[in-house]
Amino acid sequence: MKFSYKYLLPLLLIFFACRKEIPQLNEPDKYRITDFNQMFEAFWTGMNNNYVFWDIDTVNWDQMYRIYKPKFASLGRRDSPLAYAYLKEMTAGLIDHHYTIEFAKGLGLETISPSWDRKLTNPEFHIPIRGEFVASSQKYLDTFITAEVTADVTVNRRGVAVVSGIIPQKILYFHLTNFFLLDNIDYVDPDGVATLRSVMEYFFDNLTRSDLKGVIIDVRGNSGGDLRDLNFLLGRMINKPLFFGYTRSKSGNGRLDYSPWAPAFARPHRAGHALSVPIVVLTDANSVSMSEITAMAVKALPNGHIVGERTWGGMGPLTDNENFNGGQFCLDNFISLVHTSSLMFKYKDGNIYEGIGFPPDVTVPYNRALLDAGKDPQLEKAIEIIH
Amino acid sequence: MIYNWKMIVLVAGLLLSEGHAMAQLEAGFSAGYVKNHIITSPGYRSFTRYEDKSSVTAGLVFRYRLNQWLAVEADPSYLQKRYELRRYGFFDGISRTNTNGYLLLPVMGHFSFGAEKLKGFVNMGGYGGWWMHGRIKGTMANVFGEESGSGALPGFLNIDPPYDYNEKYAFDKRRDRRIEWGLLAGAGLEYQLRNRFVFFAEARYYYSLSDQQKKYMLNQVPQYLDAYVLQAGCLFRFQDIFRKPVQ
Repeated sequence: MKFSYKYLLPLLLIFFACRKEIPQLNEPDKYRITDFNQMFEAFWTGMNNNYVFWDIDTVNWDQMYRIYKPKFASLGRRDSPLAYAYLKEMTAGLIDHHYTIEFAKGLGLETISPSWDRKLTNPEFHIPIRGEFVASSQKYLDTFITAEVTADVTVNRRGVAVVSGIIPQKILYFHLTNFFLLDNIDYVDPDGVATLRSVMEYFFDNLTRSDLKGVIIDVRGNSGGDLRDLNFLLGRMINKPLFFGYTRSKSGNGRLDYSPWAPAFARPHRAGHALSVPIVVLTDANSVSMSEITAMAVKALPNGHIVGERTWGGMGPLTDNENFNGGQFCLDNFISLVHTSSLMFKYKDGNIYEGIGFPPDVTVPYNRALLDAGKDPQLEKAIEIIH
Repeated sequence: MIYNWKMIVLVAGLLLSEGHAMAQLEAGFSAGYVKNHIITSPGYRSFTRYEDKSSVTAGLVFRYRLNQWLAVEADPSYLQKRYELRRYGFFDGISRTNTNGYLLLPVMGHFSFGAEKLKGFVNMGGYGGWWMHGRIKGTMANVFGEESGSGALPGFLNIDPPYDYNEKYAFDKRRDRRIEWGLLAGAGLEYQLRNRFVFFAEARYYYSLSDQQKKYMLNQVPQYLDAYVLQAGCLFRFQDIFRKPVQ
């Protein structure tokens, strides 16, 4: 039987059998949004490819597409309130506790914050009053120094207020309203005084006191801030890298495409030394982001403790989308910014506390009445632990 | 019905074959170089691209000759598939190489032509495979790195220091499709030595038909891993070893 090429032909024909087509993915801010159908596609796609918590989030994003695609497609130009309501419904269950949707100026639409809406339903929730502990803590301080840098959007300056002082019994206290210390370290007030630098030098100098009994870092009501401040602050209290958890980012377009977990460290300052005295971090339900990261890093120390309330639960670091190919993104119209974490964070115990909050070692609930009466039970508990 | 198919295959085999069934069997081994080719897309990811990588393959060859020009061949083998996800420009230095090990069972028709000793051949068929293991090795930026960014490193890794990793790939059953199948085509030369050994060299192309990932989301970007193989091997021909010598 002679060899015949005709036997090869059927095999060649099926050789180019179909593969799935590679879909065209368009960057969310490149959609030219002229109607709500386009806006929905841009938003849904941006979330589909950039949201970093799909591994653990329970929201069924495909189901959101099926349900809301026809709803947005039927909206007219004047249906902004309805579009807003739909967006709020779609995102209500998202676990990212940094997540917000900001809207274009002039629309008169409030920022959507699913975590904030969920916190409001908690009967124990208390609204943060930024800076309240700056004043209340001073009642407990023998000596103290304060500084406030006011925010100024014209020069892209984010504000911070700090107080540091000595509680009788030689306990060093430090409170900050957010983590923009390095950002403002060179700020000079109208009188020519580098006020923030003065407070930080005061705090760092007192860390080296030989008679120091303990340190209290108060991050209650702290809204977070710059990642660099972790090393700037905690780096003075350690003399070798402190392992406290892991981070990972997206590594592709798939919702489950992730990088490996990279170990997270607080790095010592060259002038840092290992504190052996207790370090207590005061947290409350409004301690978010960097304040939670700082609390968890202190907790990783053998002499670290947390007192107060379970934190907010927004630990995923944020940065520009292109840095880690994920996280926040913008749209051309209607939505100005979808503010969401660029990285997931996992504590050294292997648990992810995003959306849950980090628990204190000792729970002391917020008590408005006692604070108004000049008493701070959370701070008093921290003092008691040090003694 | 199954009984009838068995009869058809058996009759076809007997009609096509020459001589005793065991006399047509060839068995041996092969090994070679693999140039992988990944078919996917980074989408709109900035300064990010996929790159092909090289790897290796090795395995056994079993060939059953039906006649002078046609044989059926099965090559159970180990084949590595590798690719890299690399960032460039400001993000230069950030990359990840995936090395995946597959157990493959290619089955094909082996069509040969030419002289008695030196023949050309064409292989055409398909394969099934099992994604046995994987490894990821690379460098990523670490916002909470153990050491600060160094001025010696370019771009983003000077801001967020690098974290080097080399670890086992963690399968995710929601995402990873561990069974692979596809088509193959190859061509090469074989040389018969003393009617006992067959040495061959082949260029083969594995065309994957299965997405590396299961369908778990809308607007999912598929990922196919093809392989171009250059391999060589040796077969031992079992022809005549069971035939009584002529007296």
